[in-house]
Amino acid sequence: MKRWSRSLGFAALAAAMAFSGAVTAKDLFVVDLVQEPASLDPHVQWNPDSYFVYRNIFDNMVTRDDEGKIVPQVATSWRQVDDSTVEFALRSDIKFHDGSALTAEDVVFSVKRITNPEFKSPQLGQFNSIVDAIATGPATVQLKTNGPYPVLLAQLVKLSIVPRAHVTQVGNDRFNQSPMGSGPYKFVSIQRGVKTTLARNDAYWGPKGVFTTVEFHAVPDPATRVANLRSGKADLIVTINPDLAAEIKADNRIKVLSVLSERVAYFHLNSLTGPTADLRVRQAIAHAIDKQGIIDGLMGGYDKPVATMMAPVHVGYVEGFKGYAYDPAKAKALLKEAGITPNTNFTLFTSPTFDQRIVQAIQQMLIEVGMKVSLTSSDFAGWLKRAQSSPAEFGEMTFSRWSCGCQDADGVLFPLFHSSSSWAKSRDAEMDKALEAGRSSLDLNVRLQHYKRVHEIAEATLPLVPLYQAAILYGARKELRWRPTPNESFFLNRMAWDG
Amino acid sequence: MSRFFLRRLLQSAVAIFGVVTLVFFIQRLAGDPTLLMLPDGATRDDIETLRHQLGFDRPLAVQYLDYLWDLLRLDLGQSLIQRIPVLDIMASRVPYTLYLASGGLVVALGVGVPVGIVMAVRRDTRLERFLAAFVLIGQSMPTFWSGILLILLFAVTLGVMPSSGVDGFRSIILPSIALGALTMATFARVTRTAVLEELGRDYVSTAQAKGLLFRRVIRRHILRNAATPIITISALEIANLLAGAVIVETVFAWPGLGQLAVQAIAARDFPIVQGIVLLGAFVSIALNLAADILYSAVDPRIRLEGKT
Repeated sequence: MKRWSRSLGFAALAAAMAFSGAVTAKDLFVVDLVQEPASLDPHVQWNPDSYFVYRNIFDNMVTRDDEGKIVPQVATSWRQVDDSTVEFALRSDIKFHDGSALTAEDVVFSVKRITNPEFKSPQLGQFNSIVDAIATGPATVQLKTNGPYPVLLAQLVKLSIVPRAHVTQVGNDRFNQSPMGSGPYKFVSIQRGVKTTLARNDAYWGPKGVFTTVEFHAVPDPATRVANLRSGKADLIVTINPDLAAEIKADNRIKVLSVLSERVAYFHLNSLTGPTADLRVRQAIAHAIDKQGIIDGLMGGYDKPVATMMAPVHVGYVEGFKGYAYDPAKAKALLKEAGITPNTNFTLFTSPTFDQRIVQAIQQMLIEVGMKVSLTSSDFAGWLKRAQSSPAEFGEMTFSRWSCGCQDADGVLFPLFHSSSSWAKSRDAEMDKALEAGRSSLDLNVRLQHYKRVHEIAEATLPLVPLYQAAILYGARKELRWRPTPNESFFLNRMAWDG
Repeated sequence: MSRFFLRRLLQSAVAIFGVVTLVFFIQRLAGDPTLLMLPDGATRDDIETLRHQLGFDRPLAVQYLDYLWDLLRLDLGQSLIQRIPVLDIMASRVPYTLYLASGGLVVALGVGVPVGIVMAVRRDTRLERFLAAFVLIGQSMPTFWSGILLILLFAVTLGVMPSSGVDGFRSIILPSIALGALTMATFARVTRTAVLEELGRDYVSTAQAKGLLFRRVIRRHILRNAATPIITISALEIANLLAGAVIVETVFAWPGLGQLAVQAIAARDFPIVQGIVLLGAFVSIALNLAADILYSAVDPRIRLEGKT
């Protein structure tokens, strides 16, 4: 009996040692993500859990300041050489974490790597308007685009510069497992499924971070993330919903940080086939949805209703559009006029990825004005497929949120409205022309004129009902000083402690 | 005896092959991960380019043969999302699942068996009814609820346990309780039935007449005889524990295979899902074989019965 309990004790000790408890130093900063980063190679995966981490390991050509303005980073200045060529002057004092200098060769290599189809980058589509990159000097690079491309700088905000020599030497697979960049934080280690550790780059050329060590933990359950924040295990947590935000607000050691992001929620309608092909039906739907009611009643009041698919943070946002007021009586009248009876079937397809309370609230609002709306749900991949399918397969309507990560109308309006896009469920020749003109002019005012026309047509023809600008909520220790940005960037070196 | 085992092994191989094939085709019937990997607004060209590069535009039969060929060379492939060998990813997660399943089993046995014994010995008393209710409540609580309750009580309010993650030995306590609670009632019930059956036997009255302490009777004689059904249930319940671990792992941010499976399925990361299913099939079959072996070790009658 005694021998048995002793071997149990040894087993427990061995287990404890295998776990190797974490050291909670005062200059350790812990972030709770939803999932572990899929990849730390900045040219591979496009998801927040990954780029929250790798944006700190790498520098990008340009970046956005906290106001949202595009400012220099690797590139110090740029000039338009001709309609399809932009020349960038680069900083000469940037060093990768192994001490080697960042030069024009690295920029060229990075552009070519991410735009090479054989590299299989899911981000390829965001950069494939760049057709060539040439180093015209040790610190100058020329990028050639496919015709005039006004969104180039916005897209370059997302292009990380990787070290050509190092990547070529160790190969893509090893680089993916052990990334090295020039950013304010260095990659230290990754414990799969548990945490990713970064250490401050004390030789960084720009503003240095305040935290010595940063750990990113993968915590899939939002209630657990909040529990971690409350128990002090985490200093900053991402992606919380309004209910949990209320719980955080009740604890005076922690706080909620929110920002109105570039993500816009919308209700997409089929303008080509089915009962929603009648404009009056689409107008009725627009009048039936109480946007402010949803925001205040379900979402904690953080979000902001929009009249167009743009928010003030987007280039291409135009003031002065009113949208459709909440008017259920008018909705009922329009439906009657269009000949919609209680037997006309409407299908709302959705996926658990979307907040089902909002989807069901909208369904309920439509039912209340006399529409027979049934809900059908699938996994997210199934939803994506249906959203991009033919109008007949699409059905009548769906709820979604859109973000291009570019804060530019071209990344939002073109895929949603242009007839060549698999997302568009509407067709308007004038809309097409305005969108094409908007993306081929380098003059901001000319672009805004064209996008104003796009908004006018969208308001008149209602290919979708713009709902609200989504707020992104984070939880943090009360002493953390950080301003989240609309493009959901996550720069550790812009965070600090109070006092 | 060896011919029996050889036949079992062959059956197992066929079963594994069948499971792997089934999962391969079912996953691909729903589509592929291309759309999930791309940013909003990817054009049809972007989608087709990536789909082609990942090889999903090839005929299903070709993809299947390719997969079988890799499998034969013991190559489980690379995660589509992480671009890391599946074997590495799974190897890093398996220990955590083992720890959690063990922890859950320890709690389930450690609470369930004694409770079952007491319930049998103190049959038809208020204590028995109270204990029955206790374990039943444990089994009825969904882990996504009981888990967060445990965290809120012990980690947030009392501050004596870590609220999630892997930070030393204490991290396994709450998840094990949440997981073990799921099967406590089953073990209690089985133990109670088995002990009750033994209590009626002649040798028990003989032992008591001899003057043996009742506690000794239980430990030395009854439990050993009651062990057979408990072992049977253990083999079955381990499968339940592994399934229940999925939610417990998600709630407690415990980096086991369950969490990995859920995320891989949602992301359509086929190689990982296939790898986990393969592992699951192996484990299931191995556990059944192990149970068979344990029987012959514990119960000499089965051993002596020989080849059946």
